[in-house]
Amino acid sequence: MRRFWILLLTELKAWRHDPISILGGFIAPGALLLAFGLLFGGRLAFQVAVINHDSGPLGDILRQTFDEALSPFDIPYYDVPDLSEEEAWREYAAQRIDGVWVIPSDFSERLEAGHNPQLEMHFSNYNDDRAKNHRLYSAEILWRFYEQIGLPGPPLALAEEYPRPEMVHWFPLIAVGLVLFGASLGGMFNIFMLTYKEHVAKITLEFGLAPRSLAWVLLPKVLLALIMGLVTGTALLGVVWLWEGVWPGRYLWAVWLLSGLVALFWIAGALLLGLRAHHYLAGPLAAVLGGVLIFFIGGGLAPVRFQRDKVVWIAWLFPNTYAVDPLRDLVLFRTWPEDWGRTLAVLVGFAVLSLGLCLWMAARQLRRVR
Amino acid sequence: MRRVRLLLLSELRLVRTALPIHLIAVVQPCVFFLLLSMVMVKPTFDVNVVRPQSEAGHALLAAMQEVTTPDGVPYINPIIVSAEESQQAGGSVLRQRVVVEQRAGIPTAVQRFALVDSNQVKNLRNRLTAAALRLWQEAQGDRAVTVVEHPWLPRDVPSIVYFGMAMLPLTVFLAADFIGGILAAQEFEAGTIVEYRLSPTGPSWVLGARLVRLTVTALLAAGVLVVVQGWYTGYWPASAWRVGLILLPTAIVGSCVGMVTGLLLRRSIPTLAVSLLVTLGSWILGGAFGLASSFSGLYEAASRATPHSYTVDLLFGCYYGTAVGIPWVSAAVLALFSVISVALAFLAYRWRVLGRA
Repeated sequence: MRRFWILLLTELKAWRHDPISILGGFIAPGALLLAFGLLFGGRLAFQVAVINHDSGPLGDILRQTFDEALSPFDIPYYDVPDLSEEEAWREYAAQRIDGVWVIPSDFSERLEAGHNPQLEMHFSNYNDDRAKNHRLYSAEILWRFYEQIGLPGPPLALAEEYPRPEMVHWFPLIAVGLVLFGASLGGMFNIFMLTYKEHVAKITLEFGLAPRSLAWVLLPKVLLALIMGLVTGTALLGVVWLWEGVWPGRYLWAVWLLSGLVALFWIAGALLLGLRAHHYLAGPLAAVLGGVLIFFIGGGLAPVRFQRDKVVWIAWLFPNTYAVDPLRDLVLFRTWPEDWGRTLAVLVGFAVLSLGLCLWMAARQLRRVR
Repeated sequence: MRRVRLLLLSELRLVRTALPIHLIAVVQPCVFFLLLSMVMVKPTFDVNVVRPQSEAGHALLAAMQEVTTPDGVPYINPIIVSAEESQQAGGSVLRQRVVVEQRAGIPTAVQRFALVDSNQVKNLRNRLTAAALRLWQEAQGDRAVTVVEHPWLPRDVPSIVYFGMAMLPLTVFLAADFIGGILAAQEFEAGTIVEYRLSPTGPSWVLGARLVRLTVTALLAAGVLVVVQGWYTGYWPASAWRVGLILLPTAIVGSCVGMVTGLLLRRSIPTLAVSLLVTLGSWILGGAFGLASSFSGLYEAASRATPHSYTVDLLFGCYYGTAVGIPWVSAAVLALFSVISVALAFLAYRWRVLGRA
């Protein structure tokens, strides 16, 4: 055990010469966290101007409806800035607002008389997803408007039921996937960098000459990388806590366990790569690229449970796809995942297989140097 | 002229010293684009509907199929499920189901959600409301309010087109910044910087040759992405030359930022970390997911501090056939960015390389 401890401390000292390597694991997930936070973590309402020419009262009621029709984000679908007609068109032309609604002067008159009342909706459609939202939001506005003005009720009423009293938002869901990505990347950067340096400095030759099992050399490296991965993941989790207020609390150890098992799978591969790579920078770049790829295809943006059939087959070859939903249960809801036992078994299987195979190959390579 | 040719040849030979970096810088944006295009939201949503037993249920199902874009692309793909079913064929848990039932004597479409996020709830709610509204509109007859659509462009453009277009400045910046930075740092690590110090050739020639090499590499990387995007989306820019010209200042800025980073830090790993941060940060802030003008306040101000937002504004005309912003202002700002960055690279070179000669 003393030998293991000495080697671990040696690895730690080597890491202290390049502590910036830990940043490598933080930057890519951090940048993605920032991107998704800015995109989906803010106020997700469209900005539209409403130009009300209506001479009757219904135009005002319609205008009021924009503030009252709430989305599941608990905010109105539309933010309506107070703009004059001229300003509204100018802002729309400059793409500073998403659309302009025009209520014609005879709107109330036509509605009351039953003469096909109309509204004009000018909107930006350079992005079909936003265009879709404009069309569908207009249905929400009209529905609410009809209710407000007391028309005969709809032939089909609407209701919703949810499994939990609180709504989970999209950004925290994505953020948990990024924490997992960060934990894996932090470990990969660490072990790749240290191993590569030893590889180019020919220190690996000394490892190859060691009279004892190479596990004594490789396992401290793996342990240090695992710690660095968990530090990176926890730091990202801290950012998510500061931003969104979600924290696993007493389930933190379970988060570490799942993230650690996933990280071990990747650390083993990075160790092997570090022993073989001739160009240092290709390794971290490939790690970032690969990590981003796995994040996107492995349920980083939406729960896997509800779209198993849409997950591309290749994603099932990586542990991240199995771990991401149970991690969300632990971090976002602080509940045990229903599939905890199965997930743990799958992740242990991945980690053992990867470590066993990669450490064996690494040991073979080191011995071959001799 | 011979000296310029030799310098350029020497620069091109340097590709061999960092071949994987070159490959990654060129290929990575294409892979990223293709991956994101796979996961980006599509307008058509699967909506699980419990097999209708009543007239109202059948009417809702019919109305769902009528919720489409003006081009006829459906927003709802109704999937009939049984009331007991909790899983789909592929093993997925049903994220929601719509069942029409009587509540207080009124037919009601109840949407029962599994644990899905607010964005999914919004999308599913909006679609159900749009379908149910069709029934209400029919019941209103001539009192139904018609929303007359006036879209900005003649047809809706897939979101992936904008995303791909906004990735072009990222691509040129990434290639130029990464390669420029790492090569500069490697000169210090390998000690070859001494050759530059001892060389009688002026810094402007050395920097000029490197700038040309980096800019050409960056534009080649962008060219590959333009082809991949066009092949994947069917949307091609109006003029490839114009796209190249628009991207040129960003490539110059990226090259200079990379060179300055490498010259100042003199080590590959910190240079890589800073380059990654600058590249990703400027892409995200510079209109990666929407026009800078549509984000007001601090975000727009930050966006305008990057060359990317002006580049995206100019590229918009090539892809959408309509201009955003004031093109000559965008072009002038990009030219200014280029001049300032070249000057900074020159100063950094003089300080780090010639200053110790």
